[in-house]
Amino acid sequence: MRERQRSYGLQTPGTRGVPGMKRYGMVIDLRKCIGCMSCVVACKAEFGVPMGVWRTWVKVADKGTYPNTKRIFMPRMCNHCDYPVCVRNCPTQATYKHKDGFVLQRYNRCIGCRTCMVACPYNARHLIPAKRTDKNLPKLVVDKCTLCIHRVKKGLVPACVQACVGGARIFGDMNDPNSEVAQLATRETLTVLKPELGTSPSVSYIGGDWEIMDESHSYLNRTTQLREEFNTYKRNHEGDAFGDIVEGESTMRQVSRNFGGFLRSIPHKAKEVFDAYVNLYLR
Amino acid sequence: MNESVIISNVFHHVAWGTTISVYFWLVGASAGAYVIASLGWVFGVERYKQLALPATGMAIILLMLVPVLLVWDLGQPLRFIYLMLPSYWHATGPMSWGSVLIMIYPITMMFYGYSVIKENKRWAKMIGGLCVFLAVAVELYTGVVMEFNPGRSLNHTALAPLLFLTGAFISGVAVLVLWVWIRNMIVSAISRAEKRVDWSLMEELAQYMMYGLIFDAFLLFLEFMQSVYGNQDEVMAHEEVLLGVFRFSYLWLEIVIGLLIPIIILVSPLKRTRFGIVIACIMVGAGVYGMRIWWVMGGQYLQTFY
Repeated sequence: MRERQRSYGLQTPGTRGVPGMKRYGMVIDLRKCIGCMSCVVACKAEFGVPMGVWRTWVKVADKGTYPNTKRIFMPRMCNHCDYPVCVRNCPTQATYKHKDGFVLQRYNRCIGCRTCMVACPYNARHLIPAKRTDKNLPKLVVDKCTLCIHRVKKGLVPACVQACVGGARIFGDMNDPNSEVAQLATRETLTVLKPELGTSPSVSYIGGDWEIMDESHSYLNRTTQLREEFNTYKRNHEGDAFGDIVEGESTMRQVSRNFGGFLRSIPHKAKEVFDAYVNLYLR
Repeated sequence: MNESVIISNVFHHVAWGTTISVYFWLVGASAGAYVIASLGWVFGVERYKQLALPATGMAIILLMLVPVLLVWDLGQPLRFIYLMLPSYWHATGPMSWGSVLIMIYPITMMFYGYSVIKENKRWAKMIGGLCVFLAVAVELYTGVVMEFNPGRSLNHTALAPLLFLTGAFISGVAVLVLWVWIRNMIVSAISRAEKRVDWSLMEELAQYMMYGLIFDAFLLFLEFMQSVYGNQDEVMAHEEVLLGVFRFSYLWLEIVIGLLIPIIILVSPLKRTRFGIVIACIMVGAGVYGMRIWWVMGGQYLQTFY
């Protein structure tokens, strides 16, 4: 099949099946995932990802009726799409497509407008919170999975792949027919998240359950406890966008509260800006 | 039970919140009001010339609040300047275009206001014409920036720019009528009654607003049909978001308060009373804000659970 060759605004075009080009990607074998969350912890440790945000996470579902039940685990991360919507929509070219297939973020260019977060169909991006233990690390810019490009450049696999005890995460160059991922792609049936969007993700799943992979199903079929936890979380953590609306509470009250939160955040942001420039130029 | 039930997932916040919805409303009202302001000097409708300065002034005031919202909503407020730097500019990003438009639009409007004060017909017509183009473009942009997100089924529709434009026109008229009502009261109170704007113009504008409301209702109907006959995500978005969590802003605020009741008022004898027009305008202003709420936050709502 002839692949599309299109480049979004001077960005590197997709490299899927292009001879001589690399396209690093990941195959996640859900039959082998035991839900130990080692990948999540390894990622958090590798990058010092702050509390409340994730570069990779594992979604869990129960399927079937007792006694015929099974628990499904679904690791999630940036899909490093060949045709990324986030790259196309970013107004400052802060996010870009690397020639080897990685979708990366440049903190020094990011203005924190969160356009890429709105554009990403996979929820794979987050705004780094203002409060970080290490003051030298970036904050209030958008962050995402880099597929551990710093490790890959040195011949290592990403931290989550290294830490995976079940060997469920397999990493490699999908354009190299001798790589494990390319061979799995020919041998197994692979599924991707939201294929209808045409983003051509570089992260594929073996044994994917359509229900847990589906957005509408994920919303409709949640446990009551998860629903409550979610509402409690949103009520207590207003986030940095001040826009969460939860069930069972007056919309206008929430909108007013959110706007109040935004107004209260202005002095804090002003102080951050002032401190940053004092540190940069006056010390 | 054969279906899977999600028992654990991480929590996500929406990326754009209340601030962006308020910004959309302000830009819309400003653009709508300006188009009315341009009728006299740009399109040559003589009796609207008296509205040019009050409407332009109001449009500029509304727009002056926008940078406060937009800049402080950024994670890195001072980096807003990156949006203007050629080396950072990204042609495929709708926000790149939008930021340029939002910067040029108020400046052009100030030049228009100056030309009107100086009664320079040639410049007023020329700059005013450019400003009408910018007003329409700014409003279309707000729809486009929401539309270009294929992952958000509620936003990803070609009707978005048109819905935003219609909303801008009706909210602009509504806010302008309220502004003139308040202004007339003030100038009467300080004994400068000759500065009052003719109220019959407001009655005429209210009628234009009613046509806008009917067109907006038609667009909403098209949007409704697309959702109902759409794919699973679209149907879900309609049932669970618009008629679920965002029921108040969609059904009550936008449709009932912002569309149906004002249309009823504006076709009834109340349309000839000041009370009826003012009430209809307040309702329309609130209704358009209701649309901005569900359009911005509702579009992202489902995905926060994904």
